[in-house]
Amino acid sequence: MAEAPVLVALILAALVILASVAGGLWRVLRGPDPADRLMATQLLGTGGIAVLLLLGAATRQPALLDVALVLALLGAFASVAFVLASRLVGSR
Amino acid sequence: MTLDGVLAGVLDGLLAALVLAAAGWTLAAPAAFPATIGFVGFGLLLTLAWVRLGAPDVALTEAAIGTGATGVILLLAVVRLRGGEEEVSAATPGRALVLAAGLLAGAVGLALALAVLALPDPAPGLAAEAAARTAPLGLGNPVAAVLMVFRGLDTLLESVVLVFTVLAVWSMAPDRHWGGRPGPEFPRQDDGPLALLARLLPPVGLVIGIYIAWVGTDAPGGKFQGGTILAAMWVVAWAAGLVQAPSVADRRVRLMLVAGPLVFVLVGLAGFGIADGFLAYPPALAKPLILVIEAAMTLSVAAALALLIAGPPEHPPERVT
Repeated sequence: MAEAPVLVALILAALVILASVAGGLWRVLRGPDPADRLMATQLLGTGGIAVLLLLGAATRQPALLDVALVLALLGAFASVAFVLASRLVGSR
Repeated sequence: MTLDGVLAGVLDGLLAALVLAAAGWTLAAPAAFPATIGFVGFGLLLTLAWVRLGAPDVALTEAAIGTGATGVILLLAVVRLRGGEEEVSAATPGRALVLAAGLLAGAVGLALALAVLALPDPAPGLAAEAAARTAPLGLGNPVAAVLMVFRGLDTLLESVVLVFTVLAVWSMAPDRHWGGRPGPEFPRQDDGPLALLARLLPPVGLVIGIYIAWVGTDAPGGKFQGGTILAAMWVVAWAAGLVQAPSVADRRVRLMLVAGPLVFVLVGLAGFGIADGFLAYPPALAKPLILVIEAAMTLSVAAALALLIAGPPEHPPERVT
């Protein structure tokens, strides 16, 4: 665990970012356009990475950096898949 | 209670509420496409929940397989289902059946939750023993020791299941397409965002994928997570038209697919000669042998997931002239 004041700051920051993720989740679920959903999913991915990094620093778990790394890669991959799917839908 | 304890409690509460909200919305979504997007968001929140529960291994698996690979497989399944509305609605169960399945699943979930809450604290288990027996094998991650040593047979069977799922997907192809390239074909992109991403992402992703597979014996990671990232990088290049899917008749593809389970079985059989039985390792050789299996399995997992995403062959094989 990090020092007490630092710990409070880190967890507070993670909490604020999680709240912004909650806002993004609303757009993911409501849309209305596919593009809204895609952008909001990206926000969710970025927010998730930030929460992981902050929690990793707060609890001194270096493994969370790896989880964040995987999320960063697959976030980019998910947007490719999304474009792919919408292109395939258009071609049929 | 200290301030950081209170804040951590609020964080966990918000996370739990978000996971439940995303799950509920995904179930109630009006169409398959938004439901799939909701499922990906749900997986991301679940990753954070596993981290808060102190299970980074599970979090990594959820991020790679539960969110990344499954999300894309579902997305492409939605694409393939379009244009077949009649077949889909004929195969969709009625309202009563859906309600009954929901009630059954809810009851099982509730019973499991009650069982977990009824456990004494600390819960009985083999965790302490598994952790104590990890270091003598030369491994640093007790999860890897459980998966590869104590319960190696389960992991072996899981790896064989992956081959069968690919066979199941391939068997969806009509006879005239057999031997063709799996999945749709994409025009080659020479500029635009996808072309840029397909050139920038794979070099980074290959390094990270191999790294995640390699650290699995000492830290959270391993073959399934690493293999998923490798498969995702191939899919990016495939979607940009930079590479073509290999024919399902290609022997190299088939070899790659079965290499992992094959090496696993061979090392397991070698256990009869060099240790006390099937899938037993001599302690001095445990780590090298496990790394050999993991390396072959990473290749097979990557091939299997890439082929699952690509789907069955959609075109007749090209004639060689």
